Amino acid sequence: MKKSKHIQLVLITALLASCSSKKETEWSEGDKKVYLRSDSTAPYTRTHSSPLLWYFAFRSFGMMNNGQYVRGGYHSDAIHPKSNFGSNGYKSRISRGGFGRSSFRTGS
Amino acid sequence: MIRIQLKPRNQWQQKVEELGFGFHSTEGTYWDESAAYIFKLKEIEAIEKATNTLWEMCLEAVQYVIDKKLYRQFAIPDYIIPYIESSWNNDVPSIYGRFDLGYANGKIKLLEFNADTPTSLYEAGIIQWFWLQDFDAKKDQFNSIHEKLIAYWSNLKPYLNAGLLHFACVKDSLEDLTNTEYLRDCAIQAGLNTKLIFIEELGWDLDNELFVDIENTPISNIFKLYPWEWLVHEEFGQNIIKDKNHICWIEPAWKMILSNKAILEVLWQLYPNHEYLLNTSYTSNGMNTYVKKPLLSREGANITIVNDHKIIEESQGEYGEEGFVYQEYMNLENDFGQVALIGSWIIGGEAAGIGIRESKSKITDNTSRFIPHYIEH
Repeated sequence: MKKSKHIQLVLITALLASCSSKKETEWSEGDKKVYLRSDSTAPYTRTHSSPLLWYFAFRSFGMMNNGQYVRGGYHSDAIHPKSNFGSNGYKSRISRGGFGRSSFRTGS
Repeated sequence: MIRIQLKPRNQWQQKVEELGFGFHSTEGTYWDESAAYIFKLKEIEAIEKATNTLWEMCLEAVQYVIDKKLYRQFAIPDYIIPYIESSWNNDVPSIYGRFDLGYANGKIKLLEFNADTPTSLYEAGIIQWFWLQDFDAKKDQFNSIHEKLIAYWSNLKPYLNAGLLHFACVKDSLEDLTNTEYLRDCAIQAGLNTKLIFIEELGWDLDNELFVDIENTPISNIFKLYPWEWLVHEEFGQNIIKDKNHICWIEPAWKMILSNKAILEVLWQLYPNHEYLLNTSYTSNGMNTYVKKPLLSREGANITIVNDHKIIEESQGEYGEEGFVYQEYMNLENDFGQVALIGSWIIGGEAAGIGIRESKSKITDNTSRFIPHYIEH
């Protein structure tokens, strides 16, 4: 026999089933729409970056490099500093985002 | 190897989704059980023998490239060469690879070797196995992928550094996530402590010169479904050689040599006219019918097929900057007007099973369909 006799999966099925859940049905005319912020579990915090944008939970930051904006990451005062990611001076000296820019899919 | 047409199982989509296979129809039909390929046992044994032989030849070819320092031909950056050589000399282990084989008129030929980031592992190891349980559980299949993965992860334990084994892939691809999580599933069953991280979230600790995960835990072992040629050209690439933790990267850096199509030319030089090889060189001189392939390309991009000096099919893409190889063309079109390519898995240095990709196009790309198979004794 060349075939596996028994196959057991301990991780993948439940985990991936949640990734491939059915798409929500499209809104149709007349439906009552409820808008919910995707970050609604995070407390709203006052932004420090611009007086025009008073409330949002995560602030993106980045810098200009050779005329292009390079995204550094996101930061929120509402969560533990270790959970903020990206690179900037007032967090730890951990830099992120240096891999992953070549493509959206890698399989061959 | 013959093709038959079949009636798909009722509610097959639901059946495969219950197994966590969410991309069965992502860009048109991908998992296609309206057909199957039937092999005789002696044909499977021939594929098994070819796969094991090709693996041995590939290892010889890596040694040859390193001895002769042929890195320029492979467009490998200078700074990473000592690291590649060190990974080879220290026997940093490889877990898997997939040979893409052409099989026609009793001949098996290597088309290319996906040595670094092969996918379709879950379809080959799991989905087609469960399909066969429903279709006819008494039939056999060339498929011991699952048990070989668990066994080899278990064998690898002494070779890994202390600490977790991280698994990394890109964030936005369900296909990549599925393949990565499947490998992690097998590693867990082998008793390894694992953790998933997205490649974009890998951190570099500037003070301690270590790679860290999202909780700033230092990384000591990592399986990455992300090509070496991208790693070494990206912003963090230079950190690989500074890393004080000496991460055990899986697949190892020496796979950069095997995942490059220049290896096809090296193999032909080392084993001219070998029964499993097609003539491959850096020019098309002397060939009327050939396939022009970029040294580095994925999913059938930037391929040109030339017949009698005329282009008969070509694909678009963004590859080719590093150069091309020219490989003798093998016609794989069958009586159904389909081109079938056998992806033969090598796991822990042993042939482990096959998955078949089929398309009407002569170029197998990311829209080709996966067709299950079984063995008729």
